[in-house]
Amino acid sequence: MIRVILRRLISLPFVVLSITIITFMVGYLAPGDPILSMMGSRRDPDTYERLRHLYGLDQPWYDQYVDYASGLLQGDLGLSYRYQGRPVLDLIGSGVLVSVQLGLAALTLSLSIGIPVGLWSALRQNSFVDRAGMTAMLTLYAVPSFVLIPIFRWINYQFYTRGLPSLPQAGWGRPEHWIMPVIVLAAASMGYIARLTRVSMLEVLKEDYLRTAQAKGLRNRRIRWIHAFRNALIPIVTVISPSIAFLVTGTFVVETLFSIPGIGYLSVQSISQRDYPVIQSTTVILAVAVLFMNLVTDLLYMLLDPRIRVEG
Amino acid sequence: MTSSRLRLLLSVLLLVMFTFVLTLHPISAQDEGVNLRWSIEGINDLASLDPAKASDSQGFTVIGLLYGGLVRLDGDLNVIPDLAESWTVSDDGLTYTFTLREGTLFSDGSPITAADVIWSLTHALDPNTGGWTGPFYLSNIVGANDVAEGTTTELAGAVAVDDRTVELSISQPSAYFLSQLTFGSAKVVSKAQAEADPTGWESSPVTSGPFQVQEWNHGQNIILVPNTNYWQAPTIATLTMPFIQDSETAYQLYITGELDIMGSQQNGIPAVHVPESETLPDFRSTPLFAVRYVGFNNMIPPFDNVNVRRAFALAIDKATLANDVLGGTVVPTDRILPLGIPGSELPITGLSFDPDAAKAALAEAGLTPETLGPVTLTYGVEGENERVVTVLQAMWQENLGVSVTLEPLELTTFSARLNETYETPETGIQAYYSVWGADYPDPQNFISQQLRTGVGNNNGHYSNAEFDALVDEADVLTGDVAQRMSLYNQAEQIAVDEVGWLPLFNPRLNILVRPEVEGIVFNGQGLIIPDYSALTVAPAM
Repeated sequence: MIRVILRRLISLPFVVLSITIITFMVGYLAPGDPILSMMGSRRDPDTYERLRHLYGLDQPWYDQYVDYASGLLQGDLGLSYRYQGRPVLDLIGSGVLVSVQLGLAALTLSLSIGIPVGLWSALRQNSFVDRAGMTAMLTLYAVPSFVLIPIFRWINYQFYTRGLPSLPQAGWGRPEHWIMPVIVLAAASMGYIARLTRVSMLEVLKEDYLRTAQAKGLRNRRIRWIHAFRNALIPIVTVISPSIAFLVTGTFVVETLFSIPGIGYLSVQSISQRDYPVIQSTTVILAVAVLFMNLVTDLLYMLLDPRIRVEG
Repeated sequence: MTSSRLRLLLSVLLLVMFTFVLTLHPISAQDEGVNLRWSIEGINDLASLDPAKASDSQGFTVIGLLYGGLVRLDGDLNVIPDLAESWTVSDDGLTYTFTLREGTLFSDGSPITAADVIWSLTHALDPNTGGWTGPFYLSNIVGANDVAEGTTTELAGAVAVDDRTVELSISQPSAYFLSQLTFGSAKVVSKAQAEADPTGWESSPVTSGPFQVQEWNHGQNIILVPNTNYWQAPTIATLTMPFIQDSETAYQLYITGELDIMGSQQNGIPAVHVPESETLPDFRSTPLFAVRYVGFNNMIPPFDNVNVRRAFALAIDKATLANDVLGGTVVPTDRILPLGIPGSELPITGLSFDPDAAKAALAEAGLTPETLGPVTLTYGVEGENERVVTVLQAMWQENLGVSVTLEPLELTTFSARLNETYETPETGIQAYYSVWGADYPDPQNFISQQLRTGVGNNNGHYSNAEFDALVDEADVLTGDVAQRMSLYNQAEQIAVDEVGWLPLFNPRLNILVRPEVEGIVFNGQGLIIPDYSALTVAPAM
């Protein structure tokens, strides 16, 4: 297990290096630059050239890259162009925290509903409960958040106009601000997790070793929870772990529509505004998070499945 | 067994959620005084609180509340005294002498002096500041370009005669110089604070305007409180300005009582909600000082031919576009100056929709739809642009028989292409769908600054000697306002006849303001507070 961790840790700098080069080149080759995006339709060639010079955008690409990379090595993510002079670290720091908190809350909710519903359906395959549960879950999975949000808001508005307790339609800072975004964010993955759990559990329930266990006279509860469920968890872990990594870059739609100071909007906006240092930083952070979660996934596999432990 | 556990789990979850709901704070609990909640849409944070660095309309809205300038605009868009109580202009129109209000103070209690004014103007021009609005709007001040180029840090044209007297010299007489001084880049910041803390001052600035910063929560909101040292100090207790990216979200917060003003940032009420909002007393609507237009590359075929441009202009049915396609959220226009801006009261004969005249114009150019060659209309992907250009394409097809190819570009890529078109028109785009909004309410901002030969914004290189002569005369004509407007009017008529631009419509801005909010004026320039001390929220009836 230590070998796996070490191998991953050694490859990390190389992966991050290649990612920074690729992101940098894509940004560099995209038409336009942050100055142009900022000045909009006002043309002033002299000022434009001076600002390009001030921000070092007139340097050859390799100089720009070396500047950036050496800063990165010292933990300096650079300064944003758009939010003039603000360090990128300061800009994305608090946002990452908000996005991760929101994402984890949503993930917790979707797991704590998705898995039980999936298990329940699997154990009562083809019953009314199974059909109803799966239809509901499939619906949640299929309806995109930008459709779900107006529906929630409409219902909430009906409460508001009737003087009933209602939730804020958007915003951040108070506990009740969490409810709608967390439910909306959880909805899609909840549906997916429930269906995955059901399928995976049904697969496992057909396995010979469960029949053997049953024949040996083990109690149903033990068979289901220790033998079946543990094996059924592997595909779920495969799906969940990488998705946790994406929490750090936030969820554009939900954060934007609920006006949440996460990092989702910033990540997307930085692309259209050619805010290279921000684009680079969010990409690097995402890359590191994905690599880390892949490692966690592998370790979880080993915990869940002794066979992988041996091979590893 | 499992089902009972699940039931338990679900009940716990529901209980947790209800507890959240029950902890709801009563909305708009106001302990001391009036809190006005005014949303800033379209951004999730301000770029900077340094007036020299702000670059978008949202930023300038907040800058305008925090800092005073020598002059500002009143509700009728006239230039009025602000930090300067009066000014005189020399007979040659080249020297402006401003006298600052006696005893006027910054929010920290230090006096606002001529040195602060000069430092602020120099700071806005300084290339190390990294802003662009200073070099763009203050270039008429003598020596401005030297500062902007970094050859000196002394602004030659700005002299402090004494603590209360600032003398500004300009290179050319200008009827709109004072208008330009109302823009954000000419606002006054504290020299002492900026020099003491060159990097930190802009996050908690000492201010010279009606408000000061109480709290700036990045990514969420900025909370302002009155600057009691301002000569016209506001009486409301706080002004909370949440940053709301999406205007639908702002609308939802407004209708659930969490905002007092929404939509003022050129992202008004979402079009789908306009019908249900129109009947409310909260509803306010005005055409913006902005024009959506089609620009043509005058340097390459086919639009180097005035008759081709005329043919394309005559083939567009703007009324249908505005009323049927855009559902009355815009006002169709045949002219360059937006409705309501000074100068727009003089009439213009536009190129109204006339398919026969359009075909005739094309024939006069000696061309047919077949011999015209391929035509491409380039546009930036944003808002309703897609719908508009698709309709334009259909109208040119139907009324002129010309099939136009549409080229959508991501916004910054579009700006880059316009730049290239300006630099090398031969390889540039043929025609583009674009927009211009007023930075200050003066016809120069639309006529001379957009279509005079060679100016930076004239991406299509429209050129007409008579037009140039008229606007050159008007730009420097001070004193005789009527004569100046008449010159612009003649120039505009030429540009309309020759289709320097093909103007389509002025966007309407629809906003919601609680009827209890008093003391604001809403016009094409946006929300204006003519007297900050009169801004208030009257208790609801």
